Amino acid sequence: MKNNNKFLIIALFIGAWNTIVSCEKEDIIDANDKNTVAIEFDNRVGAQKLALGTTTYKNSSNEEFTVTKFNYFISNISLKKDDGTVVKFPNDYFLVRQEDTKSLLATLKDVPAGNYKELSFIVGVDSTRSVSDVSLRTGVLDPTSYGDDGMYWSWNSGYIFMKLEGVSSVVPAGPSGIKAFQIHVGGYGGKTAVAPNNIRTITLPIATTATVRKNIAPELHLIVDVAKVFDGANKIQLATTNSIHNPAAAKPVADNYTQMFLVDHVHNEKE
Amino acid sequence: MILVSACSTKEQAEPELLFAPPANFPKPIYDMTKNPITQDGFALGKALFYDPILSRDGTISCGECHRQDFGFTHHGHDISHGIDNLKGIRNSLALQNLAWQPDFFWDGGVGDLDFVPIAPIENPVEMDEKTGNVLEKLRKTTTYPTMFKKAFGTDDITSQRFLKALSQFMLSLVSANSRYDKYVRNEGVSLTTDELAGMNLFKQKCSSCHAGELFSDNSFRNNGLTIQGEKDEGRFRITENVADKYKFKVPSLRNISATKPYMHDGRFFSLDAVLDHYAGGVQNTPNLDEKLKENPQLGIPLSAQEKQQIIAFLQTLTDEEFLTNKRFSEN
Repeated sequence: MKNNNKFLIIALFIGAWNTIVSCEKEDIIDANDKNTVAIEFDNRVGAQKLALGTTTYKNSSNEEFTVTKFNYFISNISLKKDDGTVVKFPNDYFLVRQEDTKSLLATLKDVPAGNYKELSFIVGVDSTRSVSDVSLRTGVLDPTSYGDDGMYWSWNSGYIFMKLEGVSSVVPAGPSGIKAFQIHVGGYGGKTAVAPNNIRTITLPIATTATVRKNIAPELHLIVDVAKVFDGANKIQLATTNSIHNPAAAKPVADNYTQMFLVDHVHNEKE
Repeated sequence: MILVSACSTKEQAEPELLFAPPANFPKPIYDMTKNPITQDGFALGKALFYDPILSRDGTISCGECHRQDFGFTHHGHDISHGIDNLKGIRNSLALQNLAWQPDFFWDGGVGDLDFVPIAPIENPVEMDEKTGNVLEKLRKTTTYPTMFKKAFGTDDITSQRFLKALSQFMLSLVSANSRYDKYVRNEGVSLTTDELAGMNLFKQKCSSCHAGELFSDNSFRNNGLTIQGEKDEGRFRITENVADKYKFKVPSLRNISATKPYMHDGRFFSLDAVLDHYAGGVQNTPNLDEKLKENPQLGIPLSAQEKQQIIAFLQTLTDEEFLTNKRFSEN
């Protein structure tokens, strides 16, 4: 009887201990909890880090080039939970510019707690915002905010969704003698008449779930591969394609860059 | 010492009609509720319109290519010369009745009046400036912060306020008091026999495109001009639809006597030349408008007398009040 009591006490203790321990381990998702999700844009060229200016890269056509500008708008972001629920961020517009380090990290605020398995966004500015009142063109959407690094076409109202500029020996020299290429992708589909539409939606799986909790603010690390601009569904060669400033010509580039994004990993660190 | 304060009389506030849609016009397209015109907003917009600070080197203002006495077009220029005497490729369009236009420029590239100013400001052959830089310059003046405060409540000079102020001025440029207008509104003006004959001819032969009281159906058409000079492809530049090559906006014909020369590149220096084109000069270029293919000869058959009568009618579209109204003039 004494042994049974001992076992009973131990069993009860273990049972109690398990309950206490599992309370600490139990991961409760409180729908009222919110935290931020950060998206880091890691711009690369193939397996190399993107460095603006003097670093030389090669595209799939063996053309050597440097990059002087790499900018793109990211908007209409949504995150999908493991249960299929989609959380949308319709009012967040980000302008990622390689030369502006701060812009390489986009922060989404007040993301409801949950396990997120999929990220979706538009490269560019959606058509509704593209024709909206000037009062809605604030922050990165302010057409007067870009200085000399224009991201808005004044002559054909609309934003430049992706800008890639650089220098390559295969490009014919311009008036100043520089062999520069400029690839500007825009075109939201037109306001009063149909025009080319280069808005592209990117949907990416998040392999390691992004777990938003009261005390966890995940950071998604995206790799953005410039090399894919030149090679994908379409082969873009700088020798022949080095000046794009109209939507129809930009379509093959937009089609290519749908493949340039990847969620490489997620940091789910506790705060 | 006695301090006498002047009796302050309460002024009879006459509600000044800042934007009065003419009785014979359709409803405006611009949403006036998003940018109601105020006296101070109008004054600020006008100041900006006539201020060459909008250009890189302080030489070109909007008023340079849009002169009131020429119906807010450039004086007699086929194409305009802008900064550094650089030339553009298109004829300066009349700034009148803009609230009734769905889009702007010869190719309709801008669909909202509020965004129009950015185009000439940033065009390298017009003002060659960055709009953001214009705002910086305005902030450093002694006058503009105060004007912005009067118009918008605080002295913050933002792109939204800058553009809306310019719109308030431009929207106010309403032209609806020509002899033609007073005639159709029965305001005691009669037209001559020739003018009336011209009006009837116009209704038959011209109003399918130059329609209604705004004298335009706002469409883009190819009216058979010889492809020459810049070989400007017009609307195609915006829609990139080959069916739109060589199509240009149908402009309003109001104040036509004041706005010569005519067409997108200003190639016709008289109304006679214009009507000679329609009667016998139409070319069968790609996308030529169907309406110009309805007769054995391309174009619109017009006798010499009919041409003169139509021209007489077109001259009734001149609105002297609009062309001389001091309210719109440079101070």
